[in-house]
Amino acid sequence: MKRFEEKWTAWLDDQLSGRELFDFEASLPDKAVAQAEKADAKKLGELLKRELGAHALTNEEFFNHQLREKIVQENRGSSEIPTSTWWTIPRLLWAGTASLAVFLIFTFAVMQEKNPAEESQYLTQILNARVDPVVSPNASVSIFEVKQDRVTVLWTEGLQSLPADYAAK
Amino acid sequence: MQTEATLAQSDVSELDLVKRSQAGDTEAFDELVTRYRARVFSMIYNMVHNEQDAWDLAQDSFLKAWRSIGRFRSQSSFYTWIYRIVMNVTIDWLRKKHVKGGDAEFDDTIQLTQIEPASKTVPKTEALPHQVMEQGEIRVRIEKAIGQLSPEQRAVILMKEIDDMQYHEIAEALGCSIGTVMSRLFYARKKLQNLLRDVYEKV
Repeated sequence: MKRFEEKWTAWLDDQLSGRELFDFEASLPDKAVAQAEKADAKKLGELLKRELGAHALTNEEFFNHQLREKIVQENRGSSEIPTSTWWTIPRLLWAGTASLAVFLIFTFAVMQEKNPAEESQYLTQILNARVDPVVSPNASVSIFEVKQDRVTVLWTEGLQSLPADYAAK
Repeated sequence: MQTEATLAQSDVSELDLVKRSQAGDTEAFDELVTRYRARVFSMIYNMVHNEQDAWDLAQDSFLKAWRSIGRFRSQSSFYTWIYRIVMNVTIDWLRKKHVKGGDAEFDDTIQLTQIEPASKTVPKTEALPHQVMEQGEIRVRIEKAIGQLSPEQRAVILMKEIDDMQYHEIAEALGCSIGTVMSRLFYARKKLQNLLRDVYEKV
């Protein structure tokens, strides 16, 4: 126990003894005030116990009945007993593996499509550029490339203006 | 008071009920519910101060207990274990209902220097009427005062003062350290002393 609150609480509940008790009481600036506070806390505890004691549960049997119904409904929903939650782990594993596989296949397909090694520097530059949808909402850009002739055609439609950073260097 | 023999007997039988429940025996679980329903309901009622809500939360707590009883390893008593579920369910509910404790999380931020050791608590409430208060009125005063505590402080003071639980049992039920339990108890008592001094001095 390090903090004052902990020591004070332990002292109120008569949980301090020996050296700890001696040291704590010696640290109190006014032991009489502290003792009065302790007596107050005891009175508070007694009041709470007396007034809040046991709040009776009415219809106890119905309480059990309602709970049994809920458990039966749950058991109907799942034929497994409540202890056998292990089946969720392989299911999660399968779901995770399948998701990862789909992601990898998709990524591989995209990478194949956009393999920069097979693209000209100019084409890469165009592909990296983006048409601003605010400036040109209906714009579309198409690219045609004939590699053996070293020709690339950039076909644009609906562009209001060509941004400066689209210029090929 | 229970003798050691009867205590051991009831412990064994409780363990047996738990094992049977873990194997899917609903009757055994029903018996466990019967043993603890009154205490659980009473504790929740003192936290939320509404019979219907207390009923529903007690049902939820036992249902959660049924779902997870397979994970109970008998490292603590079943009672402490079920209390942990009860406290999680009830504190979550209180948070969702935005039941604000006047000094929610107060105990985590306050500085030691702000507390005068052995400081006298002064009642902030207005003077009582001269006539003797009815029992119901006292209860309402207490419930209102408890309503001003944070859910965690409520849980701690009720478990300590009403259920006579030990610090380590409360810590286990709330999933926090013993130091935190003692600290919360400190602030809960201070606050209740402030709010209820006139009540417990006159009753």
